[in-house]
Amino acid sequence: MNFRWDIIFEYAPYLLKGTILTIGLSVSSILIGTFLGLLIGLGKIMRNKVLAFPFYCYVTVFRGTPLLVQIFLIHFGIVPFFTGETNAITAGVIALSLNAAAYIAEIFRAGIQSIDKGQMEGARSLGMTHTQTMIHVVLPQAFKRMIPPLGNEFIVLLKDSSLLCVIAAPELMYWGKAMGGQYFKVWEPYLACAFIYLCLTLILSFVLNRLESRLKTE
Amino acid sequence: MIKVENLKKSFGDNEVLKNINAIVAPQEVVVVIGPSGSGKSTFLRCINQLETITGGHIFIEGLDTTDKKVNINKVRTEVGMVFQHFNLFPHKTVIDNIMLAPLKVRKVTKEQASQRGMELLKKVGLAEKANAYPDSLSGGQKQRVAIARALAMEPKIMLFDEPTSALDPEMVGEVLEVMKQLAKEGMTMVVVTHEMGFAKEVGDRVIFMDEGFIIEENIPSEIFDNPQQERTKAFLSKVL
Repeated sequence: MNFRWDIIFEYAPYLLKGTILTIGLSVSSILIGTFLGLLIGLGKIMRNKVLAFPFYCYVTVFRGTPLLVQIFLIHFGIVPFFTGETNAITAGVIALSLNAAAYIAEIFRAGIQSIDKGQMEGARSLGMTHTQTMIHVVLPQAFKRMIPPLGNEFIVLLKDSSLLCVIAAPELMYWGKAMGGQYFKVWEPYLACAFIYLCLTLILSFVLNRLESRLKTE
Repeated sequence: MIKVENLKKSFGDNEVLKNINAIVAPQEVVVVIGPSGSGKSTFLRCINQLETITGGHIFIEGLDTTDKKVNINKVRTEVGMVFQHFNLFPHKTVIDNIMLAPLKVRKVTKEQASQRGMELLKKVGLAEKANAYPDSLSGGQKQRVAIARALAMEPKIMLFDEPTSALDPEMVGEVLEVMKQLAKEGMTMVVVTHEMGFAKEVGDRVIFMDEGFIIEENIPSEIFDNPQQERTKAFLSKVL
């Protein structure tokens, strides 16, 4: 097999551009998804079952349907419905954020519920309100426990951003496909993409590991 | 100081407290004893309403704290509690554990909170542990920090829920010592415990509970040396 390094070098600027967009899409979706996920997770554990119900539905729908289907619906349906036109990057961030939020909500819920109820009682017995206790006592501890599963979710999200090539968002995989299409090659473009995704996920795991060890209290 | 009237508490169909009436006078140390499952911890947790009561009234300094209009958070600032399992905040250092509630609830300045926190740590003999995390402390040290944390709110009443039950035997003494000191200083205390020695030595009054009722209450010497009720006698014969 004749592995053509030259076409990888030719496409290097595009792959770089794609990588930057992949990072941008992933980071913004992680931030928005985490914020929404926290709200939905808190919503789901409300004692009032009627108020908690919409959050429960949200998680069920977004976890229960394929991300690819959500991407199509948002790109061709929801975004044009509100703005009259569509934009692959906007639709991509929305789809990734909303999808990740459902999983992150579950991570938050599990994290919060894993904190011993003695923590809540300890703080409440000092006269702190439920909200103060959540902010200063429960969430900081829950967050620490949530880092490993959140890290998993961020890695999944980063990789899932490659699905956005189907709506022509010019991220990494889009340029990989373009390269394959131009030269009728398989190994060069997709191995190059795989390698770059691997580097990105390794960096992400490294950052999360550092964060986790910095928050150690023993 | 505390007046409990017709207190009832059920968990589902399980009636844990059946009509409890009790009074705690200012500066009094009341020790609650009884077999496990007798409702003594629940009784204590009803006083600051960590348990939602099913019926009855609890007056603290004349205020009916079971009235829905009363801000229970405000009441709890006056009623400190120490738990069997310490319930320290593991993500905060010892001094931050103590300072948190004064800062957030009492809204004192950081300097005031830290100064008062250090005084309290000195009092419980742990000033050198101020910047340690709770997980690095022994059980006895954790419980002393928990006592200091409760005292930081300057409560008028302290509730102790089996404060030595989760400790290794050699650490029980150091915690009881701090509690004795507090009693001496005139703190109003309600203590649920299995430490009969403490009840005898420090208690002004002992309440014996069984199956959700107060069976007998009296000064310690009477309860221990001359119990009136059969159930009290049976319980004491097993634990003494």
